[in-house]
Amino acid sequence: MNNNIIHCIKEDYVEYLRDESRTIGKAESISFPKTGEEVIDIVKDMYSKEVPITIQGARTGLAAGAVPRKGHVLNLSKLNNILGMRVDEEDNYYVTLQPGAILSQFKEKIKLRKFDTSNWSFESKKVFNNFCKKEEMFFSPDPTETSATIGGMVSCNASGARSYMYGPTRKYIEKLKLVLSDGDTLTVERGKNFADGRKLVLKTDKGMNIEFVLPKYLMPNSKNASGYYVEDNMDAIDLFIGADGTLGIITEIEVRLLKLPEIIWGVSCFFENEASAIGFVEEIRRNLKDIASMEFFDKNALYILKKQKERNPGFERLPDVDEKMKSVVYLEIHTEEEKVALSNLEKISKIMNSSKGKSKDTWVAKNDVGLNRLIFFRHAVPESVNMLIDERKKENSKITKLGTDMSVPDEHLEEVIKMYKKDIIKENLESATWGHIGDNHLHVNILPRDNKDYDIGLKLYEKWAKKVTELGGAVSAEHGVGKLKSKYLKVMYGQNHIDEMVDIKSTLDPKLLLSPGNLFEVGKRSE
Amino acid sequence: MKIVVCVKQVPSTNEVRLDPETNTIIRDGKQSVINPFDTYALEEGIKIKEKIQGEVIALSMGIPAAEKILRDAVSVGADRGMLLSDRSFAGADTLATAYTLSLGIRKISEVDLILCGKMAVDGDTAQIGPELAENLKIPHITNVSEIIEVSDNEITCRTITETGKRLVKTKTPVLLTVLKDINMPRLPSIDGVINSLDASVIVENAESLRANKSYIGLSGSPTQVVKTYIPERKNESIEIEGDSETKSEKINSVIKEVI
Amino acid sequence: MSGLIIDSDACRGCGICIKSCTYEALEMKDKKAKVNENCILCGMCIDSCPFDAIKIEKEKTNSIELDKYKDIWVFIEQNNGVIEAVSYELLSKARELSKERNCSVKAILLGENVGKDLDVLFAYGADKVYISEHEILKDNLEEVYLEFLDKVILDYKPEIFLFGATNFGRSIAPRIAARVKTGLTADCTILEIDEKSGLLNQTRPAFGGNLMAQIVCPEHRPQMATVRPGVMEAVKKETNAKEVINIDMPSIKEPSIKIIENIIEEKAESISDAEIIVSVGRGIGSQKNLALVEKLAELLGGKVGVSRPLVDIGWADQKNQIGQTGSIVAPKLLVTFGISGAIQHLAGISGAETIISINTDKDAAIFTVANYKVVGDCVEILKSMISKLEKKCEKEQAV
Repeated sequence: MNNNIIHCIKEDYVEYLRDESRTIGKAESISFPKTGEEVIDIVKDMYSKEVPITIQGARTGLAAGAVPRKGHVLNLSKLNNILGMRVDEEDNYYVTLQPGAILSQFKEKIKLRKFDTSNWSFESKKVFNNFCKKEEMFFSPDPTETSATIGGMVSCNASGARSYMYGPTRKYIEKLKLVLSDGDTLTVERGKNFADGRKLVLKTDKGMNIEFVLPKYLMPNSKNASGYYVEDNMDAIDLFIGADGTLGIITEIEVRLLKLPEIIWGVSCFFENEASAIGFVEEIRRNLKDIASMEFFDKNALYILKKQKERNPGFERLPDVDEKMKSVVYLEIHTEEEKVALSNLEKISKIMNSSKGKSKDTWVAKNDVGLNRLIFFRHAVPESVNMLIDERKKENSKITKLGTDMSVPDEHLEEVIKMYKKDIIKENLESATWGHIGDNHLHVNILPRDNKDYDIGLKLYEKWAKKVTELGGAVSAEHGVGKLKSKYLKVMYGQNHIDEMVDIKSTLDPKLLLSPGNLFEVGKRSE
Repeated sequence: MKIVVCVKQVPSTNEVRLDPETNTIIRDGKQSVINPFDTYALEEGIKIKEKIQGEVIALSMGIPAAEKILRDAVSVGADRGMLLSDRSFAGADTLATAYTLSLGIRKISEVDLILCGKMAVDGDTAQIGPELAENLKIPHITNVSEIIEVSDNEITCRTITETGKRLVKTKTPVLLTVLKDINMPRLPSIDGVINSLDASVIVENAESLRANKSYIGLSGSPTQVVKTYIPERKNESIEIEGDSETKSEKINSVIKEVI
Repeated sequence: MSGLIIDSDACRGCGICIKSCTYEALEMKDKKAKVNENCILCGMCIDSCPFDAIKIEKEKTNSIELDKYKDIWVFIEQNNGVIEAVSYELLSKARELSKERNCSVKAILLGENVGKDLDVLFAYGADKVYISEHEILKDNLEEVYLEFLDKVILDYKPEIFLFGATNFGRSIAPRIAARVKTGLTADCTILEIDEKSGLLNQTRPAFGGNLMAQIVCPEHRPQMATVRPGVMEAVKKETNAKEVINIDMPSIKEPSIKIIENIIEEKAESISDAEIIVSVGRGIGSQKNLALVEKLAELLGGKVGVSRPLVDIGWADQKNQIGQTGSIVAPKLLVTFGISGAIQHLAGISGAETIISINTDKDAAIFTVANYKVVGDCVEILKSMISKLEKKCEKEQAV
């Protein structure tokens, strides 16, 4: 085995002990494999030495999924090639990539139709030539942090603003190749292998048969990225999407593209109070079918944004928001014809005026230039909060991001929002809330000023996780559970179902080496 | 005060790609937008109109489809638009374009202030402003970073020079070209978009402008493009080798050449 | 009549031109390409045709006598009495061109009290220097310079007239071009005399640099071009030329633009405007090595930039951070030490013209965007570069 691949973690690699959750971990060694074979070699080596492995993409995750506790870090950022393209009988286009490919670069390549096809098969090249002649396509999952890797997106079943219409990453994964903990490999393809009730059988590339009994829990009736995807007669591939790196190491992914809508317009709607914004969202949801995103920002989020704008040169280009405005709802219209888009605008205007808003308090973007400005505005909110946390962390290293990622079914939106606000005010905490209100999925961020705030925040988080579960929601709707939310996963499903999940993992990873700490703590079984 | 803002319709992206089979240049002209630099001029005009009473007219020379960007201009606050469109305007370089625009402004008549963006993102020449001012025989000021005071017959503004800044004052009529970041161009509201659908956009052609045929379009263009090509992008970097001494020597000499 | 002409004999009906047209102005009729009324004569289809079947034909309209125009004139720009470096660059370029065109290089210098050290103009390439010194020329007012240049063109009939693409140059050149109704090409990066036609071939970037366009001005004079500072090379040579001619003053009205205040400023402070940046990342090793980076930046006359990890661990301020959450920079020269090239960092440097990167990791992502790749030890190379630069400085001062 070529030992140049595995490096000791000293000063040089210190940054690889952290991710966007702002937690810092520990590890002894790190590797940056460039091929699937190298991954297999490294995994076999670790398996024989029983060294735990933490898998990393771009480390943009928010749940500490990529933060190691000990052992080896397997960083896949150099496994980043785009391998080929195919088309099916229904004229759907698919691209095969390696997990380290970065989302923003992939999106750019699709838009410009610029792929490095020099190593592609003849078939792929032919498909690519046709692809260049077709109408524009896109890869629809759109997490806010576009420097994420595709592998990371698959691991946590990432979603973004447009998942309101298009769904999460899961829907667009057609095929996966994984390396299992002992170095054996597994290929799963959508539509080729279904469970029988809750019994699933997989066959590895070496020919080993693996049988599972899938956990019996029912997944929530809302946007969900919490724990393993399981349901009766499920497609085998879905077990591995959103598995947070606990079942295997993804080395190849095939994704499906969609045709880009002809018309994409963005509208930011400003309200003088939050209640009007929420009423507006419910009306829009009932009446309009062409809405691809529905995002919400509360007054605290707007305030933090304003403050950061004053201090950070990177935010100079953010437009100013009228002082009177206390919340904003961002809608995105996706349609094929301009007159449909205009009629949507007219409906939005009517609903806004009847929701105690004013249709003049809106910003409309009808082209890429304008859309980029609105997107920049939306992304600046979480960025600003992160910066605030970083500053506070300098004074007090215990402080980290304390943001929720919970969703509830439609009918409970107003109720949870009221609960969040009431509790925060009662405990006198600082907070900012924003998110995918269309999916009833808001990120409530508590901004701890000191350790006391932080501890109270954690308790509130647990309380909310219980309530959200009661209401039939999910404790992690898109960020994944990672390490930071494993205790909430337990709240959501209960120890028995967690044990069932551990059983699945143990079947595929008997030495429990892959991503220890992600999803659940292994070794803590109920007696 | 009567303000004319000159706007140009440009493709929303400058990306140029090659058709992999034929190796020819394909431009994806799917979306057309107002030249971003012109949006600053437009915003400045609207701000002036909001401060002192006035009228803002968006003016453009382009294909019939350019009417859309004039409506976009109305949606953010311009009062009306004028499109100069005619087959015989095709092929115009900056001189012919400046002449044609000057005819439009003469037709609007009694214009106090003309605002232009610094340059167009597809042509990048930054020539229209001064050439248009010459056609109208009025003074022009470029690189305006801030308009400080405006009254019906006088303007005070700050400009950026090679060595620093200047504060200048002049009587109207005058033409100003404004810099990026002089303001934050607003996006239209829903009301603005809906109202712009039936805004007044008048289309003028060579005849209605009484244009001199030898000054417009291809005939009126002293310059012509003889060829276009995609520049060779060095995708591979040149590697500098040797021991540290040699490397640093070589790096220093590259730097010397570049600076 | 001027327009797009397709030679139907040469046309093979391959359809490539139709694909290259954004305006849907070309269509296939009876297996040959035909143009319709959507054509705006942009010329994109001309280069796409593999059989050279397309051309734009222009009627000859101008009737000036081209033979009467000769020599290459260079506008020498001065600000507050100091000549702009770009003027020297243009003189040297003009000298080159004049050899091919077999003519002279003439410099025109306008200003107040600017006639002292004119030797330098000859050294850089002028054969003759034309000058006018007057109080009214002190402040570089377009209205005033316009009349002077109009008279110069009328009296001396330059065949070619070059201007630096400075703030002032980009204001006065188009104005005078419109006054004399001639063609002007802005921001040329290549200037050459065409072998066959003797015309000045003016090449410039378009579409934000994604395309290069070669332009000529066949029937109007002078052929005018502006060139950005730093594109051409200024070369001093020994010369016997020394003739200085005072030109007549044209009649000038009172300028309508009044200067209330003229502030001369230090170069901008912020890193986003810096022309030269030395940036540093985690690969620099320890905090004390940052001093070396600062020293190098100082010696090169540039600013220091950092990647995010250094801000995160407290070694540098956010205001020096380059990248997605820091500043976007577009310097002429960027030298990176120990920066791996994380995608968020690359987002901040895509506008840099020349990137030299030093890193110990030969596979660092930064090398995918660097123009010059150096795999080596940052600290060693820094120390070596600094000592060489300092030695050179001492030598130059001693001379």
